[in-house]
Amino acid sequence: MVQINLPKNSKIQKGKYFKDTTGSKNIRKVNIYRWDPSTGENPRIDTYEVDMDNCPSKVLDLLNKIKNEIDPTIAYRRSCAHGVCGSCAMNMDGKNGLACTKPHSEIKGDINIYPLPHLKVLKDLIGDLSSLYKQYESVEPWLKNSNDSSKTENLQSKEDRAKLDGLYECIMCACCSTSCPSYWWNGDKYLGPAVLLQAYRWIIDSRDEDRKARLKKVADELKLYRCHTIMNCTNACPKGLNPAKAIASIKKMLATS
Amino acid sequence: MKDNNPISPHIQVYNWHISSLVSISHRITGVINYLLLILVCFWVISLIFGSESYQYFKKFSESMVGKFFIIGFIWSYLFQILSEIRHWFWDMGYGFELRTTKITGVIVILGSFILTIALYLLSGVLI
Repeated sequence: MVQINLPKNSKIQKGKYFKDTTGSKNIRKVNIYRWDPSTGENPRIDTYEVDMDNCPSKVLDLLNKIKNEIDPTIAYRRSCAHGVCGSCAMNMDGKNGLACTKPHSEIKGDINIYPLPHLKVLKDLIGDLSSLYKQYESVEPWLKNSNDSSKTENLQSKEDRAKLDGLYECIMCACCSTSCPSYWWNGDKYLGPAVLLQAYRWIIDSRDEDRKARLKKVADELKLYRCHTIMNCTNACPKGLNPAKAIASIKKMLATS
Repeated sequence: MKDNNPISPHIQVYNWHISSLVSISHRITGVINYLLLILVCFWVISLIFGSESYQYFKKFSESMVGKFFIIGFIWSYLFQILSEIRHWFWDMGYGFELRTTKITGVIVILGSFILTIALYLLSGVLI
């Protein structure tokens, strides 16, 4: 259901203000969404003054600096710091992306950091992605092939392999799905761009023998056709992929088969 | 415990861009078009009941409110048509590159206004 306003327990309050203590002249204000599950209070926005002269270039560096030097209580996911693992996906400056690949110099004015949109918040910048993972499981993202591939190689032509380009690079960071208004309003039923791109990745794989069943499975008013080509997904993807096009390709296959 | 978890902000914080603006406008103009068909019904009814009743409609259409409705209706339809053409291309699998979506989005927005003005001026010449 479309619910524009946030529920009562999600309304954001003004939080603490951490004044700069270094005396630096190159200061930027960083506003970060905070929610502590142990207090029962509403989420708040804490503001940090950060000395930018001694801060590396990416938003993740900025968060690490705050956690190490100003406020160790702040929680966020991160791992590889090179745009490969997808852990540090969050909403920066009104757009989803990976904190480790987003330069803070691209952001004008105060730097606003929120968790990925419309998720259950577990703590601070950490959202609950378990329902997305369940949906991912539902498309059975593995090769289905009756050949005994343990004995021979499973060959694929160069052309067929090229069809997977722009799909296999997906790191499942959920930037796209959580940027999608359709997924906000119908996330329980609509599969969302990330999962549909993955579904298409297996549908289009020449080695997979389950194409018909896979197509039949996603051909659903809610699972697939809630995509209205709003293009937030493609705009958000930090890997430069095009989930909207993948979804359109599934729709086209269904319309022409 | 888990039920008390807040929902992270979504539409409140997410940036708008051309494609999302065109998308929501497509929906809104769709509803407007649907509702304004009532106006077309009144127009047809006024024709059926002869010249006297048509004068009422004419009076309304020449008033400021009437003009606003009619010009708004023309814009809303033109926007819907242009945006629908964009969707046709998408349905055929073309025009998904980010740059292309931006350009076609601008064409839809500007085009709807330009065509509205053109149609308004043209109708003034013809009638």
